[in-house]
Amino acid sequence: MLDLSDVQGLVVRGYTMPTARHLLLRVDSAPAARALLGSLVDGTPGRPQVTTATPWTEKPEACLNVAVTATGLQALGVPSAGFPAEFTAGAVARAALVGDTGPSDPVHWRPAFTDPGFHLLLSLAAVSPAARDRATEAVLAGTAPGLTELDRLDGDLLPGRVDHFGYVDGISQPTVDPAPPPGPPDRLPVQPTGAFLLGHPSQFTGHSYPVPDPPALGRNGSFAAFRVMAQDVAAFCALLAEQAQRTGTSEELVAARLCGRWRSGTPLVLSPDTDARLPPEALNDFDYAGDQRGERCPIGAHVRRMHPRDSPVAGGGGAKHRVVRRGLTYGPPYDPARPDDGPERGVVGLFIGASLRDQFEFLMAEWALDGLFAPGLGRTQDPFLGTGDGTGAGRAFRFRTAAGRAELTDLPRLVTTRGGAYVFLPSVTGIRHLAGT
Amino acid sequence: MTGVTTDATSGTGTGSGTGTGTTVQSPLTLVMPVRPEARAALRAEVEQLQALPRDQNPVTTALDAIGTVHFARFVFIDDERLAVITTYDGDFERYIMDFVDHIGPVFDLLLKHMADPPPLPVQQHPEEFLAYVRRHDLGCVGPFYSAYPTRPVIDIRADDAG
Repeated sequence: MLDLSDVQGLVVRGYTMPTARHLLLRVDSAPAARALLGSLVDGTPGRPQVTTATPWTEKPEACLNVAVTATGLQALGVPSAGFPAEFTAGAVARAALVGDTGPSDPVHWRPAFTDPGFHLLLSLAAVSPAARDRATEAVLAGTAPGLTELDRLDGDLLPGRVDHFGYVDGISQPTVDPAPPPGPPDRLPVQPTGAFLLGHPSQFTGHSYPVPDPPALGRNGSFAAFRVMAQDVAAFCALLAEQAQRTGTSEELVAARLCGRWRSGTPLVLSPDTDARLPPEALNDFDYAGDQRGERCPIGAHVRRMHPRDSPVAGGGGAKHRVVRRGLTYGPPYDPARPDDGPERGVVGLFIGASLRDQFEFLMAEWALDGLFAPGLGRTQDPFLGTGDGTGAGRAFRFRTAAGRAELTDLPRLVTTRGGAYVFLPSVTGIRHLAGT
Repeated sequence: MTGVTTDATSGTGTGSGTGTGTTVQSPLTLVMPVRPEARAALRAEVEQLQALPRDQNPVTTALDAIGTVHFARFVFIDDERLAVITTYDGDFERYIMDFVDHIGPVFDLLLKHMADPPPLPVQQHPEEFLAYVRRHDLGCVGPFYSAYPTRPVIDIRADDAG
């Protein structure tokens, strides 16, 4: 049985806090860094403590989680072995595989992400910006010298819980056994513990992901892709306007087809013609059994690509490559009256799983950047995550209507990666091991 | 610039093929040496398996579920080796977990008779199974021919279903 108090909270539960801050740190002195890590899990008075998956009796004003990169493990000077090759190689080396090419190429990333000194990631969630500042101050107090802050990234919930493209976000999250459902109960299969935490039976029959050595470090840990993704809202608005005009439909229907949900969150498969405004408990309680041809929800729509549920897919694993998403928007709300106002907008957060290769990378390489996995998509890409490279299929969006097959062509790149890192989220025991306590 | 075309008749799968070739399909020619004393038992088991009705044959039901294999057959070579010859879609390594998830038990059955099996069960040891397949895959003398180089199983089935 999983000990929830040994697991970092963000893996299996959402904090539903409106602000976040990610601190990217370099270890200059291993003893100082280990002391810092130890103080976050040993109950030192005045020190923020790592938030675990233990249910709250009282909601705190801030939460803290700790992740370490492959170079960070080395910098801490703690011997380890058996970490998966993709984690050890890191996000820069794996960039091309997940579409981080062209404008998303690591050479254009925020410098901290390509700095070999990016060792530790401290992620804070907080109930308010003031609480976030207090938590930041508390966690960084007394850490110098020994640790250097390379970068910090803030996320803030937009009004209406929408992303910058206007879609209500964060609706679908896996329920991870034995944690309670993160939202209203739904019909989706509960994910086995080992799909998100090392050392337990995984989502694949008869299989558990190997636990890196030593087990005190590896067991109950998870991996995550930490991502900063800029959204081109002006390009998205122009796309909706132009497609609405060309197809004689509303911008809202174009937006719904691209996403697979109306911007309110209503799944297109449940409400294909108009936005029925379903109650919250209905928003994730669906499958695609009655829509194998994609006449209600396009098979290439973003949410159906990223989680095909029971749809027929190559490999037959439509529900076996899920990720836990912990992200928030950054940048000010978009004002259509000032399309080129300057500030960058996007999403920053973590995509978590027991395997970067079989979850985050699989999603990107097989389901976002190619279409051969599902019927009728050809070599098309995800409308939001596609690279927009080249011409032809890579920039097309296919769907079906009552009139037959249809295609939007020459889709622009809408999302550009601004930073990526592969990190390990150790258990509380694992953090203690790193601290040497 | 964006545009739209509507076409009620055209097929699917335009494109230039995978990184490994010009077809979305790839050949697998897995030739496995059998332990001398296990030859009779293996042949009996394979024949028994293949004599099962379609819906009870675990090879067939697994391949149906995987949805990336176009053709598959067992061939005994000189009584000393068993060949599994298939044509499949996509990147074998990328789909290894889904593949083993469905068909692992079939390979357990076969591999226990082989001269140099990977650790079993394969579902517990997918990486070692992948390495074994790599070692014993004879591939083909290129180019690999396909009559429909852009068509994965998942498309063909959907079109057949109408």
